[in-house]
Amino acid sequence: MISRRDLLKVAGAAAAGAASPLERSDAPHSPSTPAPHPTSHDRQSSARRPLEALTADEADLLTAIVARLIPSDESGPGAVEAGAVHYIDRSLAGPLAPSRDAYRGGLAALERYAVSSRGRPFRELSPTDQDSLLIDLETGGATGSGAGFDGSSAAFFALIKAHTWQGTFGDPYYGGNQGFVGWDLLGYPGVRTAVVPDDQRLGTKPVPLRRSAYDSDMFNKA
Amino acid sequence: MPSLVLVLATAAAAGAQTAQPLTVTSAALKADETIPRDYTADGRNISPPLQWSGAPASTKEFAVICDDPDVPMPQPFVHWVIYKIPGTATGLPENIPIDPATSMPAEVAGAVQGTSGFRRPIYRGPAPPPGKPHHYHFKVYAIDAVLDLKPGLTKAELLEAIKGHVVGEGELVAIYERKPAS
Repeated sequence: MISRRDLLKVAGAAAAGAASPLERSDAPHSPSTPAPHPTSHDRQSSARRPLEALTADEADLLTAIVARLIPSDESGPGAVEAGAVHYIDRSLAGPLAPSRDAYRGGLAALERYAVSSRGRPFRELSPTDQDSLLIDLETGGATGSGAGFDGSSAAFFALIKAHTWQGTFGDPYYGGNQGFVGWDLLGYPGVRTAVVPDDQRLGTKPVPLRRSAYDSDMFNKA
Repeated sequence: MPSLVLVLATAAAAGAQTAQPLTVTSAALKADETIPRDYTADGRNISPPLQWSGAPASTKEFAVICDDPDVPMPQPFVHWVIYKIPGTATGLPENIPIDPATSMPAEVAGAVQGTSGFRRPIYRGPAPPPGKPHHYHFKVYAIDAVLDLKPGLTKAELLEAIKGHVVGEGELVAIYERKPAS
C-alpha cells in the first residue's frame, strides 16, 4: 500500500535517530552478532507471544494491517517479521497506554467499515481491497461512513502507521525490529562508534553490526 | 508578418472554440442519479466504467477528470485525474488499478493517473460530509496531440498542459449523499 520508495524516504530519518520515545527496562537482550533473517517459524512464534494489552482478535487484525503497511516482499521481510505488533502491544501496556483506547475503538471501527464497505472482515479481503480500505482510512474517506471512527479515520491511520514504523525501524531494545529486519531494509548498520577510512569511501555499503545501541557501553540504559 | 500573427491567433482562438460535444455514458452510473456504493468510499471504492462517443477524427488521446463542486471549498474537490488514454479508446473499464505496479487494461494501455485531492494518483470515490447531495462531474476531454505528460499531474496542471488541444469535451454528472450518523 505504501511504496517501498515512499516508505524509505521517511523511515530513513526515523531509523537514523533510532529514537523511539519508549524506554523499557524489560526489553529483550539484543544479539551482538549478526542474526539471520527471521523464518516463518519465528514469525509464528512471535504471533504466539503472550499479549500484554491487545486482545487476540485485535492483535490478529493489527497483524493483517501492518502486513500491508510494510509488506514482506522481494526487498525482504516486513513489519510482521519485524515484530511491529509485539512492539505496539507491549508499548500499549506501558508508555503508549494513553493510546490504548484509540486502538480499541479504531480497530473496532475499521472492522465495521470493512464489513459495511467491502462486505467482509478485513482479514478476509484481498490484498488489493485491504490496501484500498486502508487508503480510505488514510485519506479520511472512511470518516463519515458511519463505522464509528472517533474523529477522522486519518488520525487513526496515522497512529498505526507511526507505531508500525517505530516497531519496524526502531532499536530492537524496544521490542520491535526483530532480527534487525528494519535496519537491513534501510541499509542502516546500527550505531557505529568507530568508522574507519574504508567505511567512508563512496559507494561502500555499511556492514550491518546487528547490535542494539543499548549493547554499547557508551549508552546509558535509563 | 503581422498578418501571419493574426492568422495564427485566429486559428488558436477558433481551435479553443471548436471543441465538439462528447456524449459520456456509463454502464453503472446514470445522469443525475445516485452513484452505486461500489464506486464510493462506502463501498469498494473502485472507479466506474465510462463510455464516450462523438470524438473528432483528429483525437489522439483522451483525459478524464472527476470532481465535486459542492464541497465547501473555493475549488471543486478532485476525485480522479487520468490521461494519456489512447485515442482509439471509447471508454474506461471499471476498476482501474490502484497499484502502480499493475498494468492498465489493454484497451487503455499507456494511460496514467494524476494526483487527486486526496493526494494520491488513483480514483477515490465520493465520501462527502453529510448534509446534502453532492454532484460528481466525470469530464472527458478529447485531445488532438500526443503530449509529453508525466504521471501525477494535478487537475490544474493537466488542464494547463492540454490547453489549445482540446477538440472534444463532455461530461456525465451523478450524485451521492451521505446521511448524518443516527
